[in-house]
Amino acid sequence: MPNAVKHVLFILVPLIAVFAVLPGLYQNHLLLFNFVTFLILAQGVNIIYGFTGYLPFGYVGFFGAGAYGFAVLVMHYQSPALVAVLAAGLVGVLLGLLLTPLLRLSGAYFAIANLAASLAVLHLVANPALEGITKGPYGVSLTGTFNPSHAYYAALVVLTLTVGGVVFLKNSSFGLALQAVREDSVSASMAGVNVVKMRIAAWLASALVAGLAGGIYAWYVSVFYPDNVFSGEFSIFAIVFALFGGVATISGPIIGVLILYGVYNLIGFTTPQYFQLIYGLLIMGLVLFLPAGLVSLATRRGWHVP
Amino acid sequence: MLRTVGVALVAGLTFAAPALAADAPAEIKIGTLYASSGRYASISMPVHYGLKLWVEQKNAEGGVYVKAFDKKIPIKLVAYDDQSNTATAATLYNQLITQDKVDLLVADSGSVLTAPAVAIARDHKMFLFDQTGTGASFFSKDNPYIALMADPVSTIWPKPVADFVSHDGPGLGIKKVAILYATNEFTGTQANAFRKFVKESGAPIEIVYDQGVPTETTNYTVIINNIANTNPDAVIHFGYAPNDIAFLRNVQDVGANFKMLFSIYAGLETELLEKNVGEKGLEHVFTYVPPQELKYSVNFGMNMDEYKAAWDKKYPDGKVEFGFNSVAGYTTALVIEKTLSVATSLDQLELRKATFSLSNQLQTLDGTFALDEMGGQIGELTPLGQLELGDHGHLKFISIYPHETATGKPVYPRP
Repeated sequence: MPNAVKHVLFILVPLIAVFAVLPGLYQNHLLLFNFVTFLILAQGVNIIYGFTGYLPFGYVGFFGAGAYGFAVLVMHYQSPALVAVLAAGLVGVLLGLLLTPLLRLSGAYFAIANLAASLAVLHLVANPALEGITKGPYGVSLTGTFNPSHAYYAALVVLTLTVGGVVFLKNSSFGLALQAVREDSVSASMAGVNVVKMRIAAWLASALVAGLAGGIYAWYVSVFYPDNVFSGEFSIFAIVFALFGGVATISGPIIGVLILYGVYNLIGFTTPQYFQLIYGLLIMGLVLFLPAGLVSLATRRGWHVP
Repeated sequence: MLRTVGVALVAGLTFAAPALAADAPAEIKIGTLYASSGRYASISMPVHYGLKLWVEQKNAEGGVYVKAFDKKIPIKLVAYDDQSNTATAATLYNQLITQDKVDLLVADSGSVLTAPAVAIARDHKMFLFDQTGTGASFFSKDNPYIALMADPVSTIWPKPVADFVSHDGPGLGIKKVAILYATNEFTGTQANAFRKFVKESGAPIEIVYDQGVPTETTNYTVIINNIANTNPDAVIHFGYAPNDIAFLRNVQDVGANFKMLFSIYAGLETELLEKNVGEKGLEHVFTYVPPQELKYSVNFGMNMDEYKAAWDKKYPDGKVEFGFNSVAGYTTALVIEKTLSVATSLDQLELRKATFSLSNQLQTLDGTFALDEMGGQIGELTPLGQLELGDHGHLKFISIYPHETATGKPVYPRP
C-alpha cells in the first residue's frame, strides 16, 4: 500500500471521523470547533515552517484578513456563507501575494517582518476611515449568517483538505523539493529545484489555509472586533502546538494540538490559578528536552513517524 | 359546587406547596468569566470582585430570594479565568452553558471579552447579563438575549460632554473643538457619538481637528503640536487609561495650554492617573464624574459608603482598586438579585422580562438603571465634571453638567 494511502487511512480518516462524531457526544461544540481551528492553523504553520523553515509570527494576519473578508462579503453583498468562506481564502492568498517580498528575508528577520505585517493589516482593518467597509474598530455583527453547526462542518472540510495537503507534501517530490530548499536552498537550486516558486507555493498554501479558517471562525462567532480575530495568541498557539508535536510531519501538529490544547482547556476548567505555571513548565520542558517536538521521542529510537 | 371547588383548591394548594419546595434547586448557579492576567485584567478584576463580594454577602444571609420558588436559595458562582484571551473566553462561555448548565450567564468585563458571549448566549437562548460591554453592535431588535447592566452604551455615554460643549460652550467662548481618539470600539464609538451630538445640536461649533490614533500610541508630542496649530477652544480626548496618561503627560511636556481638556480616565481611574500624571497635570481637566463621587440615593442594595466599607473589609490588601469598575460589578449583582426577586421562573425570557421591568425603577449606587428596547443601558450616565485641587492639594470633583447635578461652575479657560 502506498504511504500516502496509509497516511490518509490511518491518520486523516480517523481524525475527521472522530471530530465528525464528537458533537453528538459532547455539548461544548465551540471547544470542539476551536480544536478544529487550531488543527487547521497548526497544519498551516507546518506547511510554511515545517517544509520551508519560515517561522510566521504574524500568521494571524491571514486569519484575521480571512475573517474580515468573510464579513465584508456578508455585510455588503449578502453573500451566502460558503461563498464568503471561499472569498476569505482568496483574501488570505491575495494578502500572501502582497507579502511575498518578505520571503527574501530569513530567520528572525522574516519572523519580525511578518509580525509587523500582521499588525499593519490589523490597523488597516481597524482604521475608522474604513468604517464604511470594515466597520473599523466598532466591530461586526453577522447574525444573518450565524449557523454554528454548518460552520463546524465547513471547518472539518477545510481540515480534511489541509491535512490532505500535508499528506501530499509528505509523500510527493514537491514536498521533498520543499524540504531540500529548507535544508540548503543553494544546493536545491543547483539540483534543478525552482526555489522561489517552491517557497511562494508553500507560502500561499499556508495563507489560503489561514484565510479559510478565519472565514469560518467569523461565520461561527458572528460578533467580533479586529482585536478578536487579529489576536496574536492565534499565531502563538498555532506555532507552539505545531512545534510541540513536531513539524514537517503529518501527525506532529495533530498530536501537539490534541495534547497541548487539551491540557490548556483542562487547566482552564479546573485549576486556572496554576495555568501559567503548568503551561510554562510544559513548554520549557519541550524546548530543553525535545526541541524537535514529541515525535522526536520516536524518531530518536529509529521509528518512522509519518 | 362552590364547596367542591373550594375543597379542590385547598387540596391543590396543599399538594402544590411541597411540590414547589421540592422543585427548588439546591443552589442558583451563576456563571461568569474574569481575566486575571493580560490586557483586560485591570478592568475585569474589580468588576469580578464586586460580583464576588455580593455572592459571599448573600450566601452569608442564607442565599438570594428567588420568587420563582418563594424562598432564599444559596448562590454558586462558577467563574473561569479567560486570561484576556477571546478564543478561550468563547470556549469557557460555552462550557458554562453546556457543561455547568448555569442558571444565569454573566459576561466578562469590557466589549472585547463580551463579544464572544453575545452570539453564544443567543444561540443557546441564554439571557446575557452584560456587565460593561458597551459595544453598540451587541444590541439589536432581533436579539432579546442581552441587556447592559452597569455602563451606559457607548453611543450615549458622551452626551453630557457634547451637551455641555453645544449648550454652554458658545457662551463661554468655545467655538472650535478638536477631537482625538484611540481607534478601538470603546473610545471610537464615543468619539462618533460626541461628533454626532455636537453636529445635530446645530450649535455654532466647528470641529477643527478630528483624528484617530492606534490604541497602542504612547507618544502624542507631534499630535499635540498639530492640535495646537488649529487653535482649538476645547480638546476632547477619548482614550483608554494608558492613552490618557501618555496624552496628559505629553501635554505638560510640550507646554501646551489648551483652554479646555477632556479625558475619560481622569475621572474613571483618578488614582492611577494621579500616580502617573500628577495632581498638577490633572488640575482643571474635564472628565466624567464617577458614581463614587456622586453618592446616589439608592432604593436597593448598599449605598456607596456602605459598599466602600464592605469592600475595604473584604479586600483589605488593596490589590484590586476600588473604583468605577468595582461599582459596576456590584451593580450587576444588584440587578441579578432584583431580577430573581421579580421573575416568576428561571426561564431565560422570563429573566429578561424581569430585568426589563426594573428599568427606571431600580436605583442603585450606580444611578438609575434604565434600558432601551434593545437592552442598551441608557441610565447610569456619568455627568461632566472638572478636577480641581482642594485645600490640602488633593484632587476633587466639581460636577459641571447637567446643571441639575452641578456642584460648581467650570473653570474656563484653563489658567
